[in-house]
Amino acid sequence: MSQASPIAIERPRAKSKARFFLLAGRIVLGLIFVYAAYTKLHFAGAWHVRDYYFFFAMGIDSYKMLPLTIVQWMAKVLPWLELALGAMLVIGAGVRWAGLVVSALLVVFMIALAHAALGGLEINCGCFGNNSVKPSTELVRDVGLLAVALAVTVGGFLSHRAAKLRG
Amino acid sequence: MKRFCVRVLLSVAFGSLLLPTLGAGPRQNSSGSKPAAPAQDLTTLKSVGSREAPITIEVFSDYQCPQCRVFFLDTARQLMQAYIPAGKVYYVHRDFPLSMHSHSREAARWATAAAIAGVFQSTEETLYSKQDQWGSTGKIEDALAGALSPTDMKKVRTIEATQGPQIDAAIAKDMALGESRGVNGTPSIYVFHKGQMTPLPPGGVNYSLLKQYIDYLLQQR
Repeated sequence: MSQASPIAIERPRAKSKARFFLLAGRIVLGLIFVYAAYTKLHFAGAWHVRDYYFFFAMGIDSYKMLPLTIVQWMAKVLPWLELALGAMLVIGAGVRWAGLVVSALLVVFMIALAHAALGGLEINCGCFGNNSVKPSTELVRDVGLLAVALAVTVGGFLSHRAAKLRG
Repeated sequence: MKRFCVRVLLSVAFGSLLLPTLGAGPRQNSSGSKPAAPAQDLTTLKSVGSREAPITIEVFSDYQCPQCRVFFLDTARQLMQAYIPAGKVYYVHRDFPLSMHSHSREAARWATAAAIAGVFQSTEETLYSKQDQWGSTGKIEDALAGALSPTDMKKVRTIEATQGPQIDAAIAKDMALGESRGVNGTPSIYVFHKGQMTPLPPGGVNYSLLKQYIDYLLQQR
């Protein structure tokens, strides 16, 4: 009776480990984005679904990077986008596209955070509403999140391709 | 019955002797001038507008803080001009001198003395607009002397020299309030409307954005 080689046994184990970490990373990343949206909509002990954008706009404007019209538009849209992307990642719907958009968003956030950190702006990052930290601290955190987001995106595209090949 | 009436009369007499000492402020100074206002009244002296206004904006600030300066010069002044005469906003200044700024506590003391003297607004304006000058040298008195009239400056000097404990108590009260709310930087801004207190993002606010928010709140009433 022939025995499977150790390498042949290790490959499926390594694959399932990778799948597990991708799954865990996807869900954690999704939950972080859902939480980020929540902190922008619920703060100071109350929901601010009708006026959240005033506060978020003030936070975005503190970076001194964008004209007011864009600041106001971003303030209205971003929390809902974060919520939708986070939910998609958590439930596993449209993972590769959600991962791609999340990765792009994180790159944008990191550019803004780097601009604030290098400019010595004494602001809080606004990423998690008034619970946010300094831009330099958040920048380090976002590097980790970007790595996870990229892994989730690549994993999502590879899975999709594998599923297509299988027919 | 007679003994009872005597006891009542004695209690009333004793109580009436005690009452003036309860809740008394600082003792009169040797010149016999009017006692200074208790610490809790100084908040009113450092506030602008009508207390009946539908919106109150409370700002914890540090006179040596550059962002507080920007907020005051670019946002607060416009806010005060646009909303206070119309009775729409009551603006409250709270002192929160940060330990990293070596002269901010002294600046707060001078500003509080100016508030007691009735020249708070011009003092606040001077402290922020000349922050660059006194911030590096610590020559706050010189900066104020260049802006206030000799009479006002003399009043402020006298108060600063003679009412130190009251001034320090007022500043400590503001700081305690800020700490109870988790203030750890300046400017920290709180908006009060219909019984609800909402903190604005820390670090100062663009006037256009603040104006939009205030107009939105005013529409709610």
